[in-house]
Amino acid sequence: MGNVQIKGVTKSYGGVRVMHGVDVEIEDGEFVVLVGPSGCGKSTLLRMIAGLEEISGGQISIGGRVVNDIPPKERDIAMVFQSYALYPHKTVAENMGFPLLMAKRPKAEIAEKVNRAAEILDLTKYLDRYPKQLSGGQRQRVAMGRAIVRDPQVFLFDEPLSNLDAKLRVTMRVEIKELHQRLKTTTVYVTHDQIEAMTMANKIVVMRDGRVEQIGRPLDLYDRPVNLFVAGFIGSPAMNFLQGKVATRDGRQVVLTDQGIALPLDGVQVEDGRAVTYGIRPEHITIGEGGIPVDVSVFEPTGSETLIFGRVGGVPIDALVRERIEEEPGKTMSFRLDPRKAHVFDQVTGQRL
Amino acid sequence: MKRSNPWLAVALWTLISFLTLFPIYWLFVISVKPAVDLFSTPDVLLTSIDWQNYIKVMNDSTLRGYMMNSLIISTGNAVLVTTLGFLACYALTRFDLAGKESVFFWTITNRMAPPAVFLLPLYLLLTQVYVIGDFKLADTHLGMILVYCTFNLPFAIWTLRPTLDGIPKELDEAAFVDGASAWQVISVVIFPLARPGLAVTLILTWVFAWNEYLLAATLTNFNARTLTTGLSEYVTTTGTEWGIMAAISVFTLIPALIVFGMVQKHIVAGLTFGAVKG
Ligand SMILES: Nc1ncnc2c1ncn2[C@@H]1O[C@H](COP(=O)(O)OP(=O)(O)O)[C@@H](O)[C@H]1O
Ligand SMILES: [Mg+2]
Repeated sequence: MGNVQIKGVTKSYGGVRVMHGVDVEIEDGEFVVLVGPSGCGKSTLLRMIAGLEEISGGQISIGGRVVNDIPPKERDIAMVFQSYALYPHKTVAENMGFPLLMAKRPKAEIAEKVNRAAEILDLTKYLDRYPKQLSGGQRQRVAMGRAIVRDPQVFLFDEPLSNLDAKLRVTMRVEIKELHQRLKTTTVYVTHDQIEAMTMANKIVVMRDGRVEQIGRPLDLYDRPVNLFVAGFIGSPAMNFLQGKVATRDGRQVVLTDQGIALPLDGVQVEDGRAVTYGIRPEHITIGEGGIPVDVSVFEPTGSETLIFGRVGGVPIDALVRERIEEEPGKTMSFRLDPRKAHVFDQVTGQRL
Repeated sequence: MKRSNPWLAVALWTLISFLTLFPIYWLFVISVKPAVDLFSTPDVLLTSIDWQNYIKVMNDSTLRGYMMNSLIISTGNAVLVTTLGFLACYALTRFDLAGKESVFFWTITNRMAPPAVFLLPLYLLLTQVYVIGDFKLADTHLGMILVYCTFNLPFAIWTLRPTLDGIPKELDEAAFVDGASAWQVISVVIFPLARPGLAVTLILTWVFAWNEYLLAATLTNFNARTLTTGLSEYVTTTGTEWGIMAAISVFTLIPALIVFGMVQKHIVAGLTFGAVKG
């Protein structure tokens, strides 16, 4: 069973603590994405699972077995590195067969498994080539081939797509997802790209500064971020934030900004007078009568939708709308905020209310 | 950009090649002249070839012994220091050793001192300290192989460091995850990738040991006497046998050329290693 348990794991480098007690439960067959800004400790955590980095405190188990003191080769894991880490002096076939060679499998079995993996990954034509004769995407697939031939309990990926151009990234994203659906091997995938996280994961772990901020299914994180950090990190374009105080107007609760603009709320239980941060995603704003007045500066039409950049009381606010806008920039437009999609956070702690 | 005149380049390289090869040619001319002709006809043209000197040298079993000693000592030393230097650089580039930069610097400072500085201490070590019963390290192959480590090991560590630094650590890590042991990582992944650097190191340390004179002359008597020291035996109070010395010198050059030729491909690869990576 390829489940992974991470319990109270800490990590220090020479007295400096960079990981402060991380707990994550990963079920067998899950695709878990560790996401967060650069330097938050994603790679460190992944490398601790792999056994490439010592665990300073806490416990990691794979398949029910505590692996803290077990070397990588005995953990039954496979890893795909950001740089692919292909052996430059070995052919594609030799690269992919390497884990099996190390496991002293018979030659015939190695050849058969390498061929099967090459077929899955569309690499059959390239088996005799050397890594330097391949394109970025092909190298990426060889690295995955090397991981899948041995059928490990867990796949570990560390930003495998960040060296590819944007278009290839999308293609490979789909390929990795398809591969997971086909093999159903537990996967831990590290990225700083929240789109990758949202599109690929069964479960996302959002990290910041060596701590877990939130764990959940992609749409749960999108719908109910537990704090300002997750709210701002998940979703693109990013959520708008406006400061204000909760007040009651005409029998309805609203958030009142310093300029006296009322931001609509629905079904949020917060006492009047509390200082809050009001969050609304650009895609939950429409253009129409009865909204808040926004000074619009730039339109970005993409064809299918239009991104509108504006300011309300000096604070930036963006809207993403389906329709095409035939207005001149520089005028004031009325933004209608969907109260059911509004998020409210405590101004001091940043926690969701 | 204007292309430089090809004829100028040809002329320049011809001149440089001539300057480099002429002394070797002259050496050969001297070695194939009878002794009586040497000073009577002081020209550098090859008028006749007389293999007399070579026959003398080859029939001299003492000289053959010296040649064997030189081969054993140089090869033994080069293989030893290249192996040790390789492992040392693996440790220096892969592990977080406390004070490793100081260790590295201290090691290479050993190469910077003039060999003569070490002469007396090494002499005492080999004749007085490393003595087991009747066995002394002085005047043995093993003794000379170890003595040359003093200079060649720091040199090997110094030349191999960039090679090992240039092999990404992620390759080691990938191999570890793929199930390799530390030894397999070194032998199956690191070693093949370090080959150009290893070849360069092997040849340069070999040439140092092969050419070394001062220590060999002091620390050997007969059993481990090398070809370079053998040369000096032909400078005597009654005269210098230039012809014989030239023939021996040619013999000294040949193995160096052969070794160089064998690893030349790797040396060129080694010099451009940074450029072809990736
Ligand atoms: N070998 C190391 N020595 C000291 N600090 C390190 C080392 N590796 C990583 N760190 C620190 O640990 C933190 C997490 O790093 P990392 O896991 O690489 O972040 P991420 O992969 O999320 O970008 C960073 O602050 C980084 O500076
Ligand atoms: Mg990282």
